[in-house]
Amino acid sequence: MNAALVSLLLPLAGALLLILLRPARSGRWVIALSLGALVAAIMALQVVLDHGERNLLVGGWEAGLAIRFRLTPLAALLLVFTAGLHLLVALYTARIAHAAGKEDYWALSCLLHAALAALWLSADLFNLYVTLELLSLVAVALVSLAGRKAWKPALNYLLLSLAGSLAYLLGVALIYGRYGVLDLALLAQLTEADGVTHLALLLMTLGLMLKAALWPLHLWLPPAHAAAPTAVSALLSALVVKGPLYILWLIWSEIAPVEFGRDAGLLFGTAGVLALLAGGWSALRAPRLKTLVAYSTVAQLGYALLALGLLLLLHLNEPRLHAALWLFVLAHGLAKVSMFLAAGELQSILGSKRVTGMRGASQNVPIALAAFAVAGGSLVGLPPSGGFLAKWLLLQPLFERPQHWPWAVGVLLGTLMSAAYVFRVVAHGFDRARPNPPSIRPDRLAQWLALLPALLVWGLALISEPLLLWLGGLGR
Amino acid sequence: MSWHAFLPMAIVLSSLLPGLVIFGLREDQQRLRVTLNLLGVTLKLLLVGSMLYGVSQGSEYRFSVPLLPGVPLVLQADALALLFVALSSLLWALTTVYAIGYLEDSPLRSRFFGYFSLCVSATVGLALAGNLVSFLLFYELLTLATFPLVVHRGTPESLRAGRVYLAYTVGGGTLVLMGVALLHSLAGTPDFQAAGYLLEQVDEHDMALRVAFALLILGLGVKAALIPLHGWLPQAMVAPAPVSALLHAVAVVKAGAFGIVRVVYDVFGAEALMQLDLTKPLLWLAAGTILYGSLRALQQRELKKRLAYSTISQVSYVTLGVALLGPIAAVGGLVHLVHQGLMKVTLFYCAGNFAETLGIHRIREMDGVGRRMPWTMTAFSIGALGMIGIPPIAGFISKWTLGLGALEVGQDWVLLVLLGSALLNATALSPLGWSQLIVEREFAI
Repeated sequence: MNAALVSLLLPLAGALLLILLRPARSGRWVIALSLGALVAAIMALQVVLDHGERNLLVGGWEAGLAIRFRLTPLAALLLVFTAGLHLLVALYTARIAHAAGKEDYWALSCLLHAALAALWLSADLFNLYVTLELLSLVAVALVSLAGRKAWKPALNYLLLSLAGSLAYLLGVALIYGRYGVLDLALLAQLTEADGVTHLALLLMTLGLMLKAALWPLHLWLPPAHAAAPTAVSALLSALVVKGPLYILWLIWSEIAPVEFGRDAGLLFGTAGVLALLAGGWSALRAPRLKTLVAYSTVAQLGYALLALGLLLLLHLNEPRLHAALWLFVLAHGLAKVSMFLAAGELQSILGSKRVTGMRGASQNVPIALAAFAVAGGSLVGLPPSGGFLAKWLLLQPLFERPQHWPWAVGVLLGTLMSAAYVFRVVAHGFDRARPNPPSIRPDRLAQWLALLPALLVWGLALISEPLLLWLGGLGR
Repeated sequence: MSWHAFLPMAIVLSSLLPGLVIFGLREDQQRLRVTLNLLGVTLKLLLVGSMLYGVSQGSEYRFSVPLLPGVPLVLQADALALLFVALSSLLWALTTVYAIGYLEDSPLRSRFFGYFSLCVSATVGLALAGNLVSFLLFYELLTLATFPLVVHRGTPESLRAGRVYLAYTVGGGTLVLMGVALLHSLAGTPDFQAAGYLLEQVDEHDMALRVAFALLILGLGVKAALIPLHGWLPQAMVAPAPVSALLHAVAVVKAGAFGIVRVVYDVFGAEALMQLDLTKPLLWLAAGTILYGSLRALQQRELKKRLAYSTISQVSYVTLGVALLGPIAAVGGLVHLVHQGLMKVTLFYCAGNFAETLGIHRIREMDGVGRRMPWTMTAFSIGALGMIGIPPIAGFISKWTLGLGALEVGQDWVLLVLLGSALLNATALSPLGWSQLIVEREFAI
């Protein structure tokens, strides 16, 4: 059996077994399973790098009938990314029990992992719909683990997510009615620039933007991510929103007719810059720490959206923009896991959810504050972090022609905005005049676990040259 | 990797590694912390010394690892780098010793010395940086490492100062990033070259080059405290005295001035700047800052604030020397970089001593200090005379050279600026040197 399928089936089987058997130490099982999935994903990546892209037909049916999975280098990379982050969060959650909310967390997080893995591997529009739907439902269930106060945000999330699914499904139905196929590779050769296709693309895009919380359809995200248990917030911000973004990229880079690309690119680019500014502004004003981090997700998704928009606007085969897009996704995922775990540590140790409650954190909770600051540095884009590499790649094609310079101004403003909200928290941490004393004894290991992904994202600099060249080649 | 390839990195690591270890120390491990600090200081001085010797024997030192596609992280030892590295290592050594004494028994020393070492590592790194991207990397690191030192006291005033400091320097850093990225898209990022590497681009991309120059100078001008970007420096005076010395003499302000030197000479080059007609605005900015800083210094009642405005004025001599684009003026500017560092460190140590020993913060309170602390006052007077530019102190030499350089390129009006600033400095600083000796007045300790 192929390693990629192992990486998908391990968490799926794990989820089912955890639900049925309810073993005593679920955390250890999940750590073992996600470690296995990580190893399998790395093997899959190795295989795909050596032998190139390959199709996986599930169930032994012929092409056309079977569920077709497609293992591309990018999908393999995203499999590694998902398994790695799930492992990190599981390690933290096994250490800090209250980060999970309830014991059901373990089964659901495995299911989330499986849904995402299936999403990265899917290669037709309907499969993508199924995985997307599964992903959203699990995510809603995870948010509601935080208890009664999370029900309202979770319900909002559910309703908007269903609306998004409906819009997407309608688009898929239109495509099916018009062309009679749903396979991405087949559609890529068939699509024409007519009214039905236009409408279908519009509907799918709307649905996906709603699910990925891309500006201006992001309003459900901050309450849901802020209300969820710490571990869930980390998974949602780092992984879940990337799923619909991936589908959006697939649709626009593979099946959308080139004629529509320019308009959509302009739209995505503008929305991206506005997301950076509006999300950053809201983060700057947010009274609570987790709300701040959640708004920062909205803002940072703006970078990815901008990269996607420019990709459509400039050239689809510009390798630097492809690399920038996926590097933003990776760097943001790592940094955001670190940031949410650090925020959880700061909150529970200092006993306050407010940003002003972080006073004196540099003395009392130094490692968690360091994790927050180091992860924040990557979000700001300080060299040589992963966020910097992505921004550098995004800026290069922009600077080559003076008519694209206004986009660079957007990036500049976004950088300043991110710096402002990150340092807002850090500056409170250095307040020694009115420190907020710790209410429980800090767990050093948990803080180091929060710091680890932040260090990894800065460590990307060590392998940046081969990484960037390779990522640039992923756009096909 | 051979020794010649590793030495520049070793100079950066000689303070970085002890700094990281110091972060992990407990507050009461005073002896170990002092040992580590002094070990780092000694090691760095030895390494810098061996590099100076090696370069004088004709060796070349170049460290390079891949960073971005086509842009390696380069650390190398050219003449300019050596000058700045030697200066900041020496001043850092002195300041560390001073700080160990100054901060005796105060809280959070491990954190303080950890960031202190990070700061100097960043400074040495940006001094040795061999291309713009490497420079940018250490430039940003310097901003981050300095912030905790500025807010070290943790009081509302120092937090406010820290916020202002960050707003200015992060903004400046972003502008530098944009400038570097823009230049990279035009001409790539080769190593710094003695006459710049952009001359061929002048005809084709004159607009883009002007924008890039403006971005870089504005971004670097924040740290170099050119008007109107100087607002953070007087505010940052709330930090402890060793930090002020670090900001003014060892690291931050110098980093900005050094960056301007690099951009003008080794990136753009005199020829290209002449063709783009960009030196005039820089010259005016520098001259304006010199006069404005001297003038504002006069109005300050607090000793440290007066010194801060004097720094704003003095550092612009460096920019002035560079902007004149003549060989003599450039020498004058660089000599001033060294001289200002030495003198300013002296003045801030003295100011710190006055504040700690006698509780003096305001200039009004200084009468009679000369009798109580004669040695400190003597040192202070020498520093002040140097700031004014009285022979035979080095300040005189740098100003003399700057004046000659201005005449050489036909910018005679610069002499008036130099003269005016010297007069203002004399008014601002010389009473401090005399009235304390002459007037004896009772004051509360």
